Amino acid sequence: MLVNIDNLSKQFKEKRAVSNLSFTIREGSCIALLGPNGAGKTTTLQMLARLLTPDSGAIQFKGYAEKDYRPLIGFLPQHPSFFNWMTGKEFLFFAGKLSSIPKKQLQARVQETLRFVSLEEAMNKKIGGFSGGMKQRLGLAQALLHKPKLLILDEPVSALDPKGRRDFLHLIEELKQDMTVLFSTHILHDAEQICDEVLILQDGCLKWKGSLPALRKEFDLLPIKVQTEEPMNGIIEQLEIIEDYEYIDAKTVKVRLPEYVHHNEFLQALINRNLSVTHFEIMQDSLEDAYMKVVRQ
Amino acid sequence: MNRFLTLLHKEITELMRNGKLIWLPIVLMIIGISQPLTSYYMPQILDMAGNLPEGASITIPTPTGEEVLSGAMSQYGTIGTLLFALATMNVIAQERQNGSITLVMVRPVNEWQYLGSKTVAQLALLLLSLILSYCLTWYYTNLLFTPVDWQVMLSSLVMYCFWVIFVVCVTIFVGTIIRQSSAIAGVSLLFLALISLLTSLLPKFMEWSPGNIRGEATKLLVEQQWTESAWTVIGSTATLSLLLFIAGVMVMKKYKRY
Ligand SMILES: Nc1ncnc2c1ncn2[C@@H]1O[C@H](COP(=O)(O)OP(=O)(O)O)[C@@H](O)[C@H]1O
Ligand SMILES: [Mg+2]
Repeated sequence: MLVNIDNLSKQFKEKRAVSNLSFTIREGSCIALLGPNGAGKTTTLQMLARLLTPDSGAIQFKGYAEKDYRPLIGFLPQHPSFFNWMTGKEFLFFAGKLSSIPKKQLQARVQETLRFVSLEEAMNKKIGGFSGGMKQRLGLAQALLHKPKLLILDEPVSALDPKGRRDFLHLIEELKQDMTVLFSTHILHDAEQICDEVLILQDGCLKWKGSLPALRKEFDLLPIKVQTEEPMNGIIEQLEIIEDYEYIDAKTVKVRLPEYVHHNEFLQALINRNLSVTHFEIMQDSLEDAYMKVVRQ
Repeated sequence: MNRFLTLLHKEITELMRNGKLIWLPIVLMIIGISQPLTSYYMPQILDMAGNLPEGASITIPTPTGEEVLSGAMSQYGTIGTLLFALATMNVIAQERQNGSITLVMVRPVNEWQYLGSKTVAQLALLLLSLILSYCLTWYYTNLLFTPVDWQVMLSSLVMYCFWVIFVVCVTIFVGTIIRQSSAIAGVSLLFLALISLLTSLLPKFMEWSPGNIRGEATKLLVEQQWTESAWTVIGSTATLSLLLFIAGVMVMKKYKRY
């Protein structure tokens, strides 16, 4: 375990942005903080980054005695904003000095980081002239410059175009080999691509935590969709291997099987009853349904 | 200390890149030298304006060098103070508004270092401007009027520097509380005006007031000696400025929100 977060709360005037949030971050894990807009993701991450004082609760890094654990974290804000009059390289030097990276290593470290985020060519340009994607990459560069133990990214890909998004996700994927990553997103698909664990946040409350397969399992209602030429009325109801079902129309149905039944067995049963199967699908987007279910409950 | 120096270096570089380090001294120099110049050319200016009936003559007594310098002081006191507050109002507000403060405070920087670098850089800028402006004004005054001893000039300058320090500390303190830059300047100027007003209304109770600085500086020019009241005003202004700085740091620590 790397960090223990205990009972974190934050109130803005009447609005309770985060309430009684508790979770732990394992060393080496990659966690997605998932939730719709206004769920309290940014507030949570800002408290973790010590940019905002929580009303109550504690954040404890394991084996780190000092209260101010900022040397251990790297943070990329949702809308990173730099000093536009600096060049990308100057900014990283500035950031590196603030993080007390020894002078001898700083030059090499800045070069290495710039290469990693593919900003080598633009490093001597003014940040004011950077595109959104470049700023996001510079933001990532400053966050990992000092090799933090925990990398916190607030909606790192939400503002990017599809290509930028894919590239950025690849970068995160690479980073998670070396450090613990916690990032927020309101898009399940992003979390699914790179994370092993999700925390689902809604209205400031933690609604669910665990792995994505576990989420699928817990909320996945009807992951198999089947279509036949003949109406299935009366047949589906008789099949004992089906746990639950829902007709979309007479010839289309969604079903769930118990864990010990393989889906081939279900297909076999349909064929045995002289139904001509025209479509048989194990639905992948059922995770989305599960997520919506968690958020709505 | 290293972090403080890094921040200070960034502040100074910013002042150079955005041109403040050029235009503020220039504007202040213009304000300063306009005093000896207009005093010198006033008779001609009036003449050109004409309209005086034939034979009528007004005689304007030629001021002494000391009087011209204290006239420049009063320009610094009004337009100058406005300029100082306007130049200082943005030092925190801008970084808060555009969010660049986040990427500084996410590193192991504390509020002392942050506010300290801002204050020192701002003081360097304004004091440098004032010194350049005042020295140039002194030069023209010596050229056009009775010469003023350099020691007299220097002591009044040192005295007046404390007003600048006070204005900067007030404005930066207000900037830790209020987020909007125009409101920061407004509240600071209102506060400074109030202090000056109270000082002139209740001179007995306000001997320590920073509002007396200009009066003391003028006294140094005219009477040419440090009096006890000068030390009182310097001491209280320095103390108040320091307290305002500490209070600013406390406010930032308490309402952490970057
Ligand atoms: N500075 C603030 N003042 C008042 N309300 C705020 C402030 N910041 C956030 N909130 C409110 O807190 C809630 C959570 O916001 P946020 O953490 O930004 O959500 P998310 O990042 O998940 O979209 C929102 O309802 C938002 O309106
Ligand atoms: Mg957010």
